[in-house]
Amino acid sequence: MKTLKPRTRPSAAEALAIAAETAPMLPPAQMPAADRAATLNMRLREATISAIAAAAKGQGLTIKQLVVRAVADTGVAVAAADLEDRTPRRRGR
Amino acid sequence: MTVLTVATDKGGVGKTLLCQLLACALAGRMRVVMLDADPTAALSRWAARAYEGAPFETVAEAGEARLAHLIAAKAEAADLVLVDTAGFGNRAASVAMTSADAVIVPALVGEADITEAERAVGLVAALARAARRDIPARVLLNRVRRTTLTRHALAELTAAGVPRLGSSLSDLVAYGELTYSGRLPAQGPAAAEVAGLVAELEGLGWLPVMTTLRNVVIT
Repeated sequence: MKTLKPRTRPSAAEALAIAAETAPMLPPAQMPAADRAATLNMRLREATISAIAAAAKGQGLTIKQLVVRAVADTGVAVAAADLEDRTPRRRGR
Repeated sequence: MTVLTVATDKGGVGKTLLCQLLACALAGRMRVVMLDADPTAALSRWAARAYEGAPFETVAEAGEARLAHLIAAKAEAADLVLVDTAGFGNRAASVAMTSADAVIVPALVGEADITEAERAVGLVAALARAARRDIPARVLLNRVRRTTLTRHALAELTAAGVPRLGSSLSDLVAYGELTYSGRLPAQGPAAAEVAGLVAELEGLGWLPVMTTLRNVVIT
């Protein structure tokens, strides 16, 4: 029996899959901009900073991790790298 | 309704110019959406700053995933979706070819242009096979002069079995002026060439034919 071939336009997902399968070597038309690290400073009361630091220490986290995890929990799109502990470690410690 | 993609890996062959010409010729007759998948955004910049004709929607999107969804969405709403692509091999262009009802491959008459045009037509054929649907593709020669070189390029295309449009675009100052003025002359060689191209595309079924009823008397 003959296989009848559809003539309808592929869906977006199908078009992406077909293009990726047929020409896998092609690069994207535009490279995404590098997501570089920058600094965010905040002025807080010493009591607040102490409370955050104590909570972070109690959970085995850095202050940055504790704050960023709380922000991420509210639905903000936080980069995965910002959830990690990237504190520089000295050799032997 | 109809998705027409303009693509080839060779840069500077007239892809954006062809989209500009078709926009000038067709925007007053049908709902046209231009998808600018070239990161240089030359087409959308021209549409925003220079173009003076009937309005059409332009969206600049070079990311293949968002482009794929845009094509699908705009094809539902517009009579014609025209996709301009970048002058190098890239994923967005492949997606635009896969989603197209037809592909126009502009080319100059030089060896590199003809070689890349042949490669582009081959890629469209491969994508069509993978998609299990017909995606016709034809070469459109641009900046054509009546020279031995042009005749040789035509012979090369014929020998390679590469389909081409009967229409071509000449090396006209009006086309260069269009990029600054945003207007295509209403008369003269440029207007005649573009009208001939549109008629050929309509004849191939690559453009929706918009009929207008005039002076119809119902008795």
